[in-house]
Amino acid sequence: MTAEHSAIELDIAAIVREQLGNATQVKVDRKGRVSVIVPREFARDAAVGLQRLGFDHAIAVSGVDYRSEKRIEVVYFLSSYSRDDLTHVVLSLKVQLDRENPSMPTLTAVWESVNFFEREAYEMFGVNFEGHPNLQKLLLQDNWDGPPPMRKDLKIPELA
Amino acid sequence: MRLAPGVWVGSLRDLIERVFGAPPLKQLVNWGRIYSLWPVHLMTACCGAEFGAMMGPRYDPERFGMQAATGSLRQSDVLIIEGTVTKKMAKRVKVVWEQMPNPKYAIAMGDCACSGGLFHDSYSIVNEVQKVIPIDVYVPGCPPRPEALLNAVIKLREKIRREEVYSK
Amino acid sequence: MSTLDLNVGPQHPGSGHMRIMVRTDGDLIVEATPDIGYVHRGCEKIAESRNIIKNIPMLCRPNIADDSHLNWSYVAPIEELQGVEVPERGRYIRTILCEINRIASHLYGMSIMAGIFSGHTTMYMFGFGDRELLLDLAEMLTGARLTFSFFVPGGVRRDLPKGFKEKLLETLDHIERRLPAIDRIFVSNPVFIERARGVGILRREHAIRLGVVGPVVRGSGVRCDVRKDAPYGVYDNVDFEIPALKEGDSLSRWLVRFEEIKQSISILRQVIRDIPKGPIARKSPIVVPKGEAISRIESSRGEINHYIVGDGSDKPYRVKMNTGSFKNLSALPFLLKGARIGDMPIIYGSLDYWPVEADR
Repeated sequence: MTAEHSAIELDIAAIVREQLGNATQVKVDRKGRVSVIVPREFARDAAVGLQRLGFDHAIAVSGVDYRSEKRIEVVYFLSSYSRDDLTHVVLSLKVQLDRENPSMPTLTAVWESVNFFEREAYEMFGVNFEGHPNLQKLLLQDNWDGPPPMRKDLKIPELA
Repeated sequence: MRLAPGVWVGSLRDLIERVFGAPPLKQLVNWGRIYSLWPVHLMTACCGAEFGAMMGPRYDPERFGMQAATGSLRQSDVLIIEGTVTKKMAKRVKVVWEQMPNPKYAIAMGDCACSGGLFHDSYSIVNEVQKVIPIDVYVPGCPPRPEALLNAVIKLREKIRREEVYSK
Repeated sequence: MSTLDLNVGPQHPGSGHMRIMVRTDGDLIVEATPDIGYVHRGCEKIAESRNIIKNIPMLCRPNIADDSHLNWSYVAPIEELQGVEVPERGRYIRTILCEINRIASHLYGMSIMAGIFSGHTTMYMFGFGDRELLLDLAEMLTGARLTFSFFVPGGVRRDLPKGFKEKLLETLDHIERRLPAIDRIFVSNPVFIERARGVGILRREHAIRLGVVGPVVRGSGVRCDVRKDAPYGVYDNVDFEIPALKEGDSLSRWLVRFEEIKQSISILRQVIRDIPKGPIARKSPIVVPKGEAISRIESSRGEINHYIVGDGSDKPYRVKMNTGSFKNLSALPFLLKGARIGDMPIIYGSLDYWPVEADR
């Protein structure tokens, strides 16, 4: 990681830390990978700030069920279409939610592309996205009545 | 119904069934059926790519009368289930099957349709398509080569050739 | 004014399973809502219960026509977590297989759109006939026509067989000779142009807002391609261009794929000329160390990502896949609104939507 390559990641990390204050943890993992952890109250502001910085491409949204730590993490992966110096960067915006009642404001007003991604996280993990325009099942069968399947509660028998 | 030796009484439909259900007309009807099997392209999952390759110029199913039928279900004969049938789709597979007019046949293509395959422990699939509709020919493979699918079509034709014209 | 609700799907002649609920006013589509999930097989959940090598065939099935890209996207985060670097010859072989796969996949998508969805089968026969030669090449290298499962963490399974280079160059020459025929018969064909030009226009600002990727976004003027933005493999050592067209209609999206085939042929010629000698794989343990990593690979339908969280065992704790088709799904209701019903197959075909990839 040469000095000029790592400069943009460190710059972004510094700007984000400055804008969002002490509630966030910002880390540069390696060249092209920055991670930002925010509590749910700051998720919306963080998203708007990152979009203004140039992160206008939401490439994926993933839920992760950390059952032993009693939390569900929703990770937004962001990159950029318009800023040439940011197209190689993936910034992970991680929002930590309580496992019993995971709920956070929707970010569809910031990036329209996360509409379907958040619907999938809703049905697979049970996360409630407040204010989502159409929070319904997307992939599961019509009469699914079990727990959200990607949670660790639903077990698939392991092969030997 | 027989009144006396040599006399047979029945409706016109029964007469037609007796005439066409016996050789040599039976052979003619079955020959017509096997040379015009129009498939329904139920491209469920991955096997659809090999079905597409089979309909291509190298394997040429048209010499067997199997046209690249993109027409409606109401004028198709054989339903080829290519791949995994999920629980969400199972109801619709049944709807497709019921829309096809008789005589109709079904080929289960791929390991997923035969028995669950790679995804047998998934929470959202139906492991055996036999539970949804009756199957005539099974083609194992993941995915089966186009030659294997052509072989299945040939086996189906042999089965049709032996069949009764009017089945109760 | 009363509208009619139509149900298109889930069984289509020529496409996988997905349903579009269309509300029409006469011939004009007023609203379209996609309903997906008919091929959802739970890949991500199954991946948590199998070890990382056994996951490879299963996680490559979502897009069987694009197997090598999904494979690379899955093993790359594992290599990153393990700290294993693929040797140079291994990366060259991976690039060769990926570009062969890209040409075959584009021929598939182009054949379906300009063939089946336009109402004839000529382009279908052209595309599929030429695709068979590429599958023969792939079979010579990997042993399988479509399901290669050729990449493992650390490298590739086998080296190039004897005679591969000659056969590759011969196949590329043949495809290059066929491209002008496709150009003359389909690209310059006034009937196809009437059906596809000006249909389903996606302007640049809408493409960015909807977050589309792949040939769809390049057909709208955004030069976005992971092979140039964040190069992997040997893409920073080869000369190639990213075709992008401004018009944003269905014809542009088709032409972008056509141009990409030409670029892939050029990449393949350079890679097979410059491939160095050396090992094809490094040893890699069957364990996912603690940590997380995400990959970005440009597949034929767009950028795919695998996000893997490891916990130190031989099974991944979480595998999240996001594929090009799922990202492009947001363009479908937007493009169909205001279009005619007769344009629906062309618009759908120009997105090259692969339902299994979107549903996983």
